[in-house]
Amino acid sequence: MSYDLLIKGGRIYDGSGLPSFIGDVAVNGGQIVEIGRVKESAKRTIDAGGLAVSPGFIDHHTHMDAHIFWDPYATSEPQHGVTSIVMGNCGLTLAPVKSTDAAHDALVKSFVRVEAIPRSVLEQGVPWGWHTFGDYLDRLEGKIGINVGGMLGHIAVRQYVMGEESVERAATAKEVEEMKGLVREALEGGAVGFSTNRNERHMREDGKPVASRLATDEEFFALCSVLTDLNSGVIETIFGRNKIEHFDYYNRLARETGRPILWQSLQHRWVEPNLWREQLEAVAPIFRDGFQAYGLSHTVPLVRHFTMKNAQVFDEFPTWKALMFLPEAARTEAFKDPETRKKLRADFADPRPTNFHRRWDILRVEKVVKPENEKYNGKSVEEMARMRAQDPLDAFLDLVLEENLSTVFWNCNNGGDPAAMGEILRSPYVLVGTSDAGAHVQFGADFGYGTTLLGLWVRERNLLSLEHAVHKLTFHVASIFGLEGRGLVRKGHAADIVVFDPATVRSHEPEWADDYPGGTKRLIQRSEGIHYTIVNGQPVYENGRLSGELPGQVLRGSAYRERHAAAA
Amino acid sequence: MGLTYVPVARVGEVDAGKMKPIEMGGRQLLLAHLDGKYFAFARECPHEAADLQFGELSDNKVCCASHGYNFDLTTGECTMPKGGPQLTTLPVEVRGEEICIKLEW
Repeated sequence: MSYDLLIKGGRIYDGSGLPSFIGDVAVNGGQIVEIGRVKESAKRTIDAGGLAVSPGFIDHHTHMDAHIFWDPYATSEPQHGVTSIVMGNCGLTLAPVKSTDAAHDALVKSFVRVEAIPRSVLEQGVPWGWHTFGDYLDRLEGKIGINVGGMLGHIAVRQYVMGEESVERAATAKEVEEMKGLVREALEGGAVGFSTNRNERHMREDGKPVASRLATDEEFFALCSVLTDLNSGVIETIFGRNKIEHFDYYNRLARETGRPILWQSLQHRWVEPNLWREQLEAVAPIFRDGFQAYGLSHTVPLVRHFTMKNAQVFDEFPTWKALMFLPEAARTEAFKDPETRKKLRADFADPRPTNFHRRWDILRVEKVVKPENEKYNGKSVEEMARMRAQDPLDAFLDLVLEENLSTVFWNCNNGGDPAAMGEILRSPYVLVGTSDAGAHVQFGADFGYGTTLLGLWVRERNLLSLEHAVHKLTFHVASIFGLEGRGLVRKGHAADIVVFDPATVRSHEPEWADDYPGGTKRLIQRSEGIHYTIVNGQPVYENGRLSGELPGQVLRGSAYRERHAAAA
Repeated sequence: MGLTYVPVARVGEVDAGKMKPIEMGGRQLLLAHLDGKYFAFARECPHEAADLQFGELSDNKVCCASHGYNFDLTTGECTMPKGGPQLTTLPVEVRGEEICIKLEW
């Protein structure tokens, strides 16, 4: 027998979290048909010796709803081993929608502001013409390079039923019933869940709140009850509520609906260094009682590099701020002055809350200028101060002065504590990945959350096994979202596979690209160590290049699958 | 400890309701003229780094053109949404014909 594709001799991390093993993977007709020692030949053989072979990663938190129309690969997803994405997060979708310019514009208004996608891009790039959520998904069939699933967004549902009143008032009982019909229609049309947005910071382009913010609890729970009735789909939320007192709400939602709840977000932050642990403790009883409320978390630390020529991290402190705006010569003199140092110290002692953590054990010397100071490279300021037998603030400023303000320092406000990150990333209650791909396109790019997990937290920091990390990027996500036949390297599963080098895999810094409609620039992100990204048996990315093939499928939820199975 | 006034523009140079980019200490700032008062603040929005020069000025506030975040220019406080990130602001004084940033440490 000849296979379509044979991936030979790799170490298979099958997505289950079980120990990896060396073997071959044979593919036919887009499915995995054999795993082990495969003797038969194939039309194409990939030598994966020395490399890892795993299920393709599933990026569950994207805003590619519009982007996917002009970029079938959702670039830079395949570059990071992603074979499937889920759109429709945070209440935002492009369907259902009535066929009027005003209705289209109402949805655009939310995407422009909440997700920071330039209006001109949406106006040029979205080929309106669908009506229901299922119609929208149908438009993608046969035109995508990776697999795409979508949640239904509460904003579009409200806008459809209530028009512009959706951003002004609560819904009537009749309107809620109509919305429930749309939720059912969308799930039966293939939606993999329902998302809502009550974040007080999220508003439309015109300054009005996004429509879902006007929903009462009664409305929201009524719409979620449709998912319960159909036994289908996740409920994704962004409430801007992640304090402990908010967990009663998630508890109630999980118990009443019986569906997996996703809440945002769980992060390690130095200014609230124990909040993540309190959050995990708050959701533990929900899981213990047999319900699900997963916290979304990120893998990419929020790192800033600075010198005292250009630092902004101290702007929250009046004396520091004033000095940083002085000419460098005057700033240098001020840093020498003992009285000024007293004021700088007093600024840090002020108890009011700030984003900067004020911790010298976290701030690090990244790169010194003078050879005699090289011993400080990589040390925290606190460690450096001990080496110099000085107080940390004096040591910091004296080093800065010795090096003419040019010492490079490293700071990390979020995600900088490896011990915390280890517990967060390993927790079964945490859903890893908040790439936000397709959103905030001119302000950042976190396509590489998976490659960062594998490179930084697995290889460099050894916080979790590679098997566990692959599981978190694949089957963990597929299971929660009900993506049947995905997320595992198993016979009969879709041949969504990534071949990567665990010794080199990592994410690059974002870079500007000109690949947006109308010549608008946006940020993309390259990777290292991803050799092949294979979607439904066809390589779409290999050795740094996209193939041009479009093997992606629309991933539809269980309500659709069961309805169509019954019809068949 | 010290006090200095850094001249950044001359009176009449910035029309009412307008902003002028300025540079200080290697940082990009905007000088805004609103109802006879002047305000100096970071050019980069603290939310997602959009250029506040494209924002709208009114009532001692700047509204970022990118996401609509509002900042009180007298305090730097984010007023919409409340609790948002703080905008870096600097005190401004008109000294004779010169508009100066006041730096005190």
